[in-house]
Amino acid sequence: MTAQGAHDRPGDDRGAPDPGLARERTLLSWTRTAIAFGALGGTVLKTNVMTGLIILAIAPVVWQLGRVSRGHSARADLPAVGATRLFFITVSIVAVSLLCLAVAIFGKSAPGALR
Amino acid sequence: MSWSRRLAVLLPWTVERDTGGTEPDPRFTFANERTFLAWSRTALALVVAGLAIVQLLPPFPGVPVGRHLLGLPLIALGAVLAVTAYTEWVRNQHALRRGEPMPRSVLPWILAATVTGIAIIAGVVLLISALR
Repeated sequence: MTAQGAHDRPGDDRGAPDPGLARERTLLSWTRTAIAFGALGGTVLKTNVMTGLIILAIAPVVWQLGRVSRGHSARADLPAVGATRLFFITVSIVAVSLLCLAVAIFGKSAPGALR
Repeated sequence: MSWSRRLAVLLPWTVERDTGGTEPDPRFTFANERTFLAWSRTALALVVAGLAIVQLLPPFPGVPVGRHLLGLPLIALGAVLAVTAYTEWVRNQHALRRGEPMPRSVLPWILAATVTGIAIIAGVVLLISALR
């Protein structure tokens, strides 16, 4: 889809031709993802301190990745594809899942903590 | 296409060097990125849910492996969702550059099937523990 045909396509961006708004929403999305990493780190912290700290450390990195890619882009109107950033997120989630699997299988549980 | 070639297409440096087609509308590129991030958060939520079930819920009476039966698949699904979300982002970006129709997503199907399966297992575990 080219820029010329963009106005003909329905979608959530219709009526908001300024790409700045899309950039803002994407930046907020990165922030929410960083918060999700933080929330997971906080939960894991309750059962395994070391693993929790590792996951918590990813949160500011994710937040910064979302900001850097937009703020320092030479072509501010066009988003960098940024495949490496997304690949980093994917690898992080897989690593976090493996860590959590290990914690779930071998970790000491705290049954009834939700009561 | 061989498996090694399919994997090579997914590598980030291969994606960034893709100059085929034309530069898509930035709004669609942003939207594609937001969709990937939304699926990533879904994956993280599944990992949290799985870990909370195993670590924080009280054991089911009469079903000692009940918590693991429910929690471990959720954590594994988190990893699967993250990888699938990345591959779909690459495919979408490829289609956007070339003006091709957007490929059909398998993520909703995977999520719905797994959640349904987990819900059925949860029902069975609860039923067994209630009967004992």
